[in-house]
Amino acid sequence: MSEIEKLKLELKNLNAEYVKIKTLPPEERGTFGREMNAKKQKILNAIAKAEENAESENISPIDISAPCAPNEPIFRPALGSRHPLMTELDRVISIYSDMGFNVMESNQLDDEFHMFDSLNFPKEHPARDGYDTFRTSENFIPPAHTSTMQHRALKKCKKDLENGGQIAVVIPGRVFRNEDADATHEHTFYQCEGVFVSKDATMGQMFGVLKQFFENYYGQKLNIKTQPGYFPFTEPSAELLIERPSSLGGEGWLEMLGCGMIHPNVLKMAGIDPDKYHGFAWGGGIDRLVMLKYQLGDIRYFESGKLDFLEEF
Amino acid sequence: MLISLNSIKKYVQIPAELSTEKLIELIGSRLVEIEEVIELAPKYKGVYIVKVVSAEKIPDTHLSLCQIDAGTHTAEFAEAGAETVQVVCGAPNVHAGMLAVWITPGSIVPSTYGNENFRLGKRKLQGYESNGMLAGADELGFDNEHKTIAEIDPKIAQPGDSLADVFDLNDTIIDVENKSLTHRPDCFGLIGFAREVAGILGQPFPEIEWPALKLADDLAMKVTITDSAICPRYSCAIFDLPDNQPEKYLTPTAVFLSKAGMRSIDPMVDLTNVMMLETGQPLHAFDYDKLVAVGQSGQNSQQNGAKDTPEIIVRLAQPGETIQLLDGKTIECIPEDILITSNSIPVALAGAMGGKNTEIDASTKRVVLESATFSLYNLRKTQMAHGIFSEAITRFTKGQPAAMTFPVLSETVARLGVSPLAVVDAYPDKPRKTVVKITTLEINQLLGTTYDQGTIIKTLENVNFTVSATGDTLEVTAPAWRTDIHIKEDIIEEVGRLLGYDNIPLALPEKPFAGTEVAPMLRLKSELRSILSDRLAMHEVLTYSFVSKALLEKSGQDPADHYEIVNSISPELQNFRSQIVPSLLDKIRENIKSGHRDFSLYELNQVSSKANGLSAEETPVLNNHLGIVCLGDFYKLKTYILTMLRRGLKVELEYSQLVAGSKAAETYPYLEPAHSAVLLLNGETIGAFGEIKAAVARRFKLETIVSACELDLDKIVDLPRRIDTDLKLSRFPSVERDLTLKVSADAQFGRVHTLLDQVLASENLIFETLPVSIYQSSPDSPTKNFSFHLKFSSPDKTLDQSDITKIMDKITVEVAALGAEIV
Repeated sequence: MSEIEKLKLELKNLNAEYVKIKTLPPEERGTFGREMNAKKQKILNAIAKAEENAESENISPIDISAPCAPNEPIFRPALGSRHPLMTELDRVISIYSDMGFNVMESNQLDDEFHMFDSLNFPKEHPARDGYDTFRTSENFIPPAHTSTMQHRALKKCKKDLENGGQIAVVIPGRVFRNEDADATHEHTFYQCEGVFVSKDATMGQMFGVLKQFFENYYGQKLNIKTQPGYFPFTEPSAELLIERPSSLGGEGWLEMLGCGMIHPNVLKMAGIDPDKYHGFAWGGGIDRLVMLKYQLGDIRYFESGKLDFLEEF
Repeated sequence: MLISLNSIKKYVQIPAELSTEKLIELIGSRLVEIEEVIELAPKYKGVYIVKVVSAEKIPDTHLSLCQIDAGTHTAEFAEAGAETVQVVCGAPNVHAGMLAVWITPGSIVPSTYGNENFRLGKRKLQGYESNGMLAGADELGFDNEHKTIAEIDPKIAQPGDSLADVFDLNDTIIDVENKSLTHRPDCFGLIGFAREVAGILGQPFPEIEWPALKLADDLAMKVTITDSAICPRYSCAIFDLPDNQPEKYLTPTAVFLSKAGMRSIDPMVDLTNVMMLETGQPLHAFDYDKLVAVGQSGQNSQQNGAKDTPEIIVRLAQPGETIQLLDGKTIECIPEDILITSNSIPVALAGAMGGKNTEIDASTKRVVLESATFSLYNLRKTQMAHGIFSEAITRFTKGQPAAMTFPVLSETVARLGVSPLAVVDAYPDKPRKTVVKITTLEINQLLGTTYDQGTIIKTLENVNFTVSATGDTLEVTAPAWRTDIHIKEDIIEEVGRLLGYDNIPLALPEKPFAGTEVAPMLRLKSELRSILSDRLAMHEVLTYSFVSKALLEKSGQDPADHYEIVNSISPELQNFRSQIVPSLLDKIRENIKSGHRDFSLYELNQVSSKANGLSAEETPVLNNHLGIVCLGDFYKLKTYILTMLRRGLKVELEYSQLVAGSKAAETYPYLEPAHSAVLLLNGETIGAFGEIKAAVARRFKLETIVSACELDLDKIVDLPRRIDTDLKLSRFPSVERDLTLKVSADAQFGRVHTLLDQVLASENLIFETLPVSIYQSSPDSPTKNFSFHLKFSSPDKTLDQSDITKIMDKITVEVAALGAEIV
């Protein structure tokens, strides 16, 4: 006898017992009826469950390793991708914006004045060589660093200073250096510049802000250290290193960016009184952040337009 | 630049408890970026001084069979019972009794260390067993050419000594990044570098006592600087050259030079190089007699009249002037080149290289030793124009301090132990000392520190600044060699750096509580990424802003409209692009070849063209463009574009047929006008989309239908977004009807569709008219069918049969006016 047949027999027997109700005194009939109904319900539930199980037993299993049922089309959802550099750039922007920095974009064609003169590079100074700039026949410059925007940012936000506020801007953008591309060098890459000016800006604040940024970016506490640098537009100047975050293996130090206290001549050029105001500025590469994050071995993938690469992101 | 830590230790007492590792870390964090740390000891492991006991020629070969005595190491390598070790040597100078350098079997040849790591063994040469090798200076890494085996002066070593012990090779070399010392000419000498190390360790650096040579004129020599801007100071001494034969033995000087990557030449040149490495001041020696002769020859040819006194004239090169340099090459000067001349005949390219005509050789009896400094700006041009990258010009292009030329000359003469016949010091404009007034408060305020005055003064005095304090104010005088100190911030840098930026307490600026502003264009680009990548499944790519003329021409654009890079890396990267689509078209074929079938690419980036003109600040006006390419026809791309605009951005743009021959058709020359539309904003063309022309597709080797869109985002960044919040939802059931209209073959779908919408709207209905299909039985059939699925309801009531009939009748009448009939 099957499970279901047994249950059905049980139900039949139970139903037969109902007749007893007539033999009971009226005050006990209610209780008896409820008990009988509960028992009956229990058996009915068991029958339903057994029937459900019996039905499943009749269904043959499918091949879950297959992409589709036999004779059915394979379903392929359309998936797009964002460029990893732009994804990180958006993230960098959003962290700085949350910290209180305004965001403007860097220009991809600029001139000698913004690229060098406004940044206190003496004319013909060899430091200009370090930037390996491209030039157009009109002597415009596809800028070699986002610092090319510093003068504009300072001038644009000067009124905020004069109204008792501060200048706090970050400027991401595409920059260009005249060097041959190899696995770690690209002539075209992305940087993000930061500029902060107030009545009492200090180098300690600069390191504090940058540490905060990297801790937000990597989502963990980090150690930082510096090494001296030389940039004509900052004095003192430094390069900032962070301890390799645990998500990237956690050993050693990573050079992240150049930074320093804005040179008084740079403030003066933008019409800001260097005796009243001080500032700091920094600039670092975005490509490097992405390469580290995804352990990429070749920077040239970024501008290759290869879907095999982009679909990984 | 390579710096030997042992050399630094000659000037600075390094505390015993400070490990080399920690010292390097401090230098890296407070002076200069360190690129590499090179330990020399492992490189010279297993390399010993040995005595050649016997050397016998092996007949019919150039080889000698040698027995060597390696002192305490002999037993380890000798055959059982033997008192010497056998080595076969091919060098002509090997002889019994000499001290030589032996690389033992199992050791690495030092010159190959870190590269191919060539490890020696025991092997047979011409049937004779040879253990390791007797090494030449080249194999030891001290020379580039293989000449002979190195011979060691018995006065400084004995058999069994390790080479590293005798020649100070238990050393650590740090390779520093020159760029981070661009402004510190003084640090391009070991003394200057050591001074900073002392400062970092908090030790006073004892000022160097330089001898001061007396000016002398036993021999007549005049020096004229035509312009002190190109040569602030020119010092020189003339003396009889002491014995200048290259040393027979491997000298400690040769090893010292090798640590800086330099090579030993002869005693005179070696001394000038040692002085340069120690002080940063390059020196140059001329053959005096040749120099005088050259000057006289010029006098005769130029008929300048007789001059009794030889004269060194430092001047700029004249147009077309040439000079043959020491390396034998003759160069044509650029106007910025500075020339050292003898009575105006060039004898050296200043700062870069001496002239062939005054070269020191075996016959030289008397020399002119020059110690001078030149305009770094001119020398930088010289360096670039003639491609000269010597240790000397590297230092000169940092601007060597004029204060040091004479002291260094004096010290060099003193070391040579000669008495000069003439000493001249042309120093037209002595600079005044730089004095900076600053308060301790100002220093602490900029750094964010609380250093006390005593600490600050000591820090500066340690590196030979002079400081006098009056109350909180410090009067700081920079030492003569510090040409980089001008303003308060320079002093603040010294203090902050020497005491360690890493010791500055971290702080965060206090910021007023205010919202931030992200440039609207950046926001729009972010939003487009989410629409195009995340919703429409396109792929975002980045391609170069620089494109080739060929690419522009392939896509039908005129290179002349594009900014041209004059110093481009390659013809592939010669023009700044004005549109994005051509770059994207270039990426399709390769992706198809690697197996991708159905994809769309887009890029958001800046472009510019000469036609854009200049902004108020006279820089090129830049536009932010969106470029899209998709594998598919016009209609597929149109669906993408309209979905992006309407559903994604909530903006409405009009579009109309791209007219062949129009200005828009010229702007987007790669689009097939018959299959393309322009995007319009208030009648202005702000973009276009459509299928690529067949000819363009062929040039890009595209075999499928490709569509593309180029859109100027600057035109839409500020457009108001229209979100339809007036959602009309009816409580009453809606009616659904399929409708097929037969129309003439040239009927416009858009007109019919609009008409249907208008009819239903005029009946005050809530409705949807969904296109279902367009059917034409054959391309030359005079008619085609448009099918729609209609869905409509009344906001007020349930529509009954008579209402529906009335509506459908009205549609029939209205479409008939367009020549359409309901099928």
